This record gives sequence, C-alpha cells and structure tokens, in this order.
Amino acid sequence: MVEIVFLTPFITGIIAFFLPKAIGRQLLVGTGAVHLILSVLIWKNRPEAFFNSYFAVTPEGLLSLLVISLLFFLISIYTISYLKESEIQAENIFTGFMLLFLSTMTMVTLSDHIMVLWIAIEATTLASAPLIYTHRSSASLEATWKYVLICSVGIAMALLGSVFITLSMDIGKVDAPLSFSSLTMVATTLDPMWLKVGFIFILVGYGTKMGLAPMHTWLPDAHSEAPSPASALLSGVLLNCAYLGIFKTNKIMYAAGLGDFSGTILVVFGLMSILAAATFILKQNEYKRMLAYSSIENMGIIAFGTGIGGIAAYGAMICMIHHSLIKSSLFLSSGNILLGYGDRMIKGTGDMVSRMPKTFVAFFGGFAGISGFPPFGIFIGEMFIIVGAFRTGHYVTAGIFIFSLCVIFAGFANQVMKISFDDFNKGDSNKTIQLKEKASMVWPQYILLLTSLILCFFMPDTLYQTIIDAVTAIGGGLK
Amino acid sequence: MILHPVDTILSLVLLSVLFSFGSSRLPGLIMVVGFQGIVASIVPLFIGHDMTAGGMIFTLVTLLIRGIIIPMSIYIAIKRVAIRREVEPIIGYHASILCGLGLIVAATYVSRQLNIPSISEYTLLFPTAIALLVTGMFLLIARRNAIAMVLGYIMMENGIYLVGTTFSVRARHIVEFGILLDVLAGVMIMAIILQNIKRTFDDVDTALLRTLKE
Repeated sequence: MVEIVFLTPFITGIIAFFLPKAIGRQLLVGTGAVHLILSVLIWKNRPEAFFNSYFAVTPEGLLSLLVISLLFFLISIYTISYLKESEIQAENIFTGFMLLFLSTMTMVTLSDHIMVLWIAIEATTLASAPLIYTHRSSASLEATWKYVLICSVGIAMALLGSVFITLSMDIGKVDAPLSFSSLTMVATTLDPMWLKVGFIFILVGYGTKMGLAPMHTWLPDAHSEAPSPASALLSGVLLNCAYLGIFKTNKIMYAAGLGDFSGTILVVFGLMSILAAATFILKQNEYKRMLAYSSIENMGIIAFGTGIGGIAAYGAMICMIHHSLIKSSLFLSSGNILLGYGDRMIKGTGDMVSRMPKTFVAFFGGFAGISGFPPFGIFIGEMFIIVGAFRTGHYVTAGIFIFSLCVIFAGFANQVMKISFDDFNKGDSNKTIQLKEKASMVWPQYILLLTSLILCFFMPDTLYQTIIDAVTAIGGGLK
Repeated sequence: MILHPVDTILSLVLLSVLFSFGSSRLPGLIMVVGFQGIVASIVPLFIGHDMTAGGMIFTLVTLLIRGIIIPMSIYIAIKRVAIRREVEPIIGYHASILCGLGLIVAATYVSRQLNIPSISEYTLLFPTAIALLVTGMFLLIARRNAIAMVLGYIMMENGIYLVGTTFSVRARHIVEFGILLDVLAGVMIMAIILQNIKRTFDDVDTALLRTLKE
C-alpha cells in the first residue's frame, strides 16, 4: 500500500482548510513527520503498489521521494516560525495547499503509468499556484498568472508527447500496459519515429516545468514572489519532479536504442539553460531571483549530465540530490534576510555577517555549496559530469560548460559579498534588523547543509546502490 | 472518396477554427470553444470503440465538462468582471484569417504525409486536431486579452483530446477522466486569477503584466 504516502497529506491538506491557525501549523509538521516515516519505510521494504498498473516503486522515484520527505519535514519546522514572523492573510489556505502540494509531488515520484504521471505533474502546478499568490500583491499575481499559463501550456505539450508514445505502440503493434516499466521492457518493438517525436514533446513539456531554457521564463518570477518556504519547495523538489518525467521517458529511449538521440537533445537544452542562467545572473539585483537563476543553472547541469550518460549520469543524480538540499536551505535563509531587512533588493541589504551572523553562516555555506566548492556534494557531481564529458569526447561542450560555471560563480559571488559585507546603513543610521534569529529559523538550514556535507564523505550503501540502479537504466554508472 | 459522417461534423469544426481567427468579440469565441469541446467529446463515440454503458456515461460527463461547464465558467468570469469584450489582437484580424487558411492547408498536407493507420478512414480527423492545437497556440501568442489566452489554452486541450481519444483505445477512461479533471481545475484556477487581475489592475490586458522581468 504505497499509495498511503500521498493520500495522507491529501487528506490532512483538505482538513487544514477548515482548521484554525495554531492547529494548522501543528498539522503541517505532524504530517511532515508521518510522511518522512512512511517514506523511510517504503525505502526499506520496497512494497508493491495496490493499484500496480498505475503506481510503482522505482529507484529514481525513491530517491526523489526521500528528498521530498526530508525537505518538507525540515521546511515545515521553519514554516511555523516564518508564519509567526510574517503576516499572511488566510493562513489556513497556505497550509492546506502546502500539504496538497506535498501530496501531488509524492504522487509524481510513485507514478508508473504515463498518463497518471501527467495528471500528477499538472496537479503539482495547480496545487502550488495559490502558494505563489500568498502575498496578494500585483507582482505575485503576475507571477502566478505566468506560472499557471506557461506551465499548463507546456505540460499540454507533454500530454501530446504521451499520446504520440501510445501511437508508437499502435504502429509497432505492441500490446502492453501504458506504463514506463512495461514500455521499457518492450522498447525495441516500438515505432522509433513516433517515439522520437513523443520524446521531444515530453522534453519540451516537462522541460518547461523543470525550468530548462528557453522555456524558463516563469521560474524566476514564481520563485521570487512565493513566500520563502514555498520557494524552497518549488526550487528544491518540484523541479526534480518534472525532471523525473524526462528521466523516465529517457529510460524508454535508451532501452529502444535511441539513447544517442535523446542524449544529444538533453545536452543542448542543458547547455542553453546554463548559458541563460550565466547571462542573467550577472546583473541580478534581487537575491531571490538570483537564487532562482541558480536553479535554472543546476537543472541545466542535471540535463547536461543525463545527456552525456555514463559516469556523468551518475554525477547528474548526485547533483540533483545535493541541489535540492542546498538550494532549499538557501531559500529558507533568503526568507530570514527578507524578514530581517524588509527589502527584496540586494542594495537594501548588507553587513549580514555582523547583523545576522547565524543566517550568514547558513547563507554563505549554501553559496559555497551551490557554486561547487568542496566539501559539498555538488562539487563531486560536477566533477563526475566534467570527467564524463571529456571521456566521451565532448570537448567543446565541456569547455562551454566549465566557462559558464565560472561566470555564474563570479556573478553569484559578487552579489553574495554585497549582501554579506557591504555597509548596511549607508548614511541612514535608523535602519535596524527586524528579526531575532530563532533556533527554528536557522537549524533547518544547518541540517540541510550538514546532510549534504555528510553525504559527500560517507554515502550509505543502500543509497549508493539505489542511485546506481536508477542510472544503469539510462546507460550510466561508475565505469 | 466517401465522406464519413464524422468528417461532416469535423468540417464544421474547421470552419469554427477559421471563425475564431477572425473573431473580435469574447462571447462569440466562448461559443466556438464550447462547440469544439462538444464535438471533441462526441467524436470518439463514432470511432469504432466499445459502446459500453460505462463508455456512454463517460462521454456524457466529458460532454458536460468540456461543452458546458468550462465555457460557462469562463462566461461567468467575464460577466462578473464586466470587462471590455474585445480580444485586443497583437496580429490583426485579416492577417489572422489568412494565417488560419494557411494553417488548415498545411495541417491537411502534413496529416496526408504522416499516414497514421488507426484513423486513415477519417480524412479530416488529424487535420482538425492539428488545426485546433495550433489555433489555440496562436490565440495564446497573438491576443493580449487574458481571457482570449485562456480560451486558446482550452482550444489546445480540445485538440489534444481529439488526438488522444481517437489514436488509440489504450488510454483507459479513468485516466482520461483524471486528465479532464486536471484541465477543469486548471481553467477554474485561471478564472479565479482573471478576477483577481481585473480587481488589481482594472483590466485584463496582459500588457499590464510586464513588471517582472530578467
């Protein structure tokens, strides 16, 4: 009965709409804890799904599920303090949709049927749209509108792609259930032309949701306008969910012997995203938008690694896990900065090192991690990807990749230095920090960063094996 | 070549596609989208699939949602916000109609080339689906009015539905129903956002939604 893991937050989410503030907050953390326990149990026992034609436990799904669960639990603890500090109208709607959002994302990780996966990914859009509009400002309205419209249209393309895959079954005269696992097994008998067309549409569709350039335009708006806990979820785990859709389709492509075709397209989209992020991150003047562009960059890195295959696909998986951990911690820290300085522009901040020392440690640590410094995990992931690219003879693309990473690091570092060390008052001595750094508002970030740190030095065997199981299906591995 | 009864209905849809390219008023556009929704939900019934009781009920529910509930909710949304009833084109109407004609010719040509076995007896099915899809996208790109954009999205979904249900018998009703509900919820959320846009900006011209960039 793996379905219980997404039914639980669905039910509590609906209940939360009718509960008063205080109980709703408890419910958020409670559900997060239950979800984490259930996910760990699923990881250990790997049970069969009750509706096994629609849902299945797969290695790549398990990885995302555990990341979602851990992140949501920590973010929910942060959210309680965040809600106390900031004024949000209709808080029960916020908590309710947070839980529904968790439920739909969990459903994505467990979906095996092509169309059910589509339904689940579209449902994540619908459940997260109200979260972006939480602040009820005209800017957040614009962000929500763009988010819903662009993502819905994008995902409609993915639906068309899924239909084309059923067509490739018809033409190949294949009689199998329409699920990723069974299609991977019969992949060679599918009609290759329609399979390719289907893959392109699915890549464009789910790529829109994943934030690959040039379909990324909604992402910086949505991630910067949402309240920070919601941004952390959007950036940390929602993007992975969309990636999962592409990954599973790529599995079919690889099994059908079309791995080179899909790989090349992934490399191109990946590089475009990294280049787009490099262009826009240099002149960012809002710190949350800067983090959003960094997410686009990392999604590009993941797509790039997946496309290269081999050791780079393993690196992409590592990057995916660590990006989730580190980026969500950065977004939570950015919530502290916003509450403390009351300004979303970089020039309204400064001198964080002495004004908000605890947040500074979390933010700076996260910055080091996300830019690929050892001892954080992204360093290892990017290393694998670069080595993989050189090994397979992708010299030019690897060169562009490394160059863009340098540019992004420079842009990012410049802004982070301003936030951390610039003079804050600038002649106006009345400005003060409006936030007391409570333990519950910094420890979730510390734990996320520590997890990334520990996973870098010591990776449990079961985790290693699951990653290898996941990437073997797309021709990856440590060889 | 004998014209199949399905093709007769579909030719009306193609005409409605042309009409939506030239339509300047929102209520007319909503009627067109409703008509296309009705056709998209009826056509699978004619195309040799199982005529079971469950299938009939499913068709009726689809008809209700695609043909009536979705267009009605958009209609109520414009009634409530009582906005200007023009679609505010970026590309003019005459140029749009010309695009539409070109599109229909291109769609017919392309579907001839592709030659898909399961629907080869219905000459107009695939061209209509492509035309609906592209028209939807055209409305999304070439109209500034937010409601016209939502209508474009619905038209696109109708096109995909037409392809999806007729290509293959595989997509089971329960899954199709899930997709239908997702689209319905999507349109509802868009309608709510529309009302908020109207309340905040006093108009639904998307040129006003240009403050967030880079």
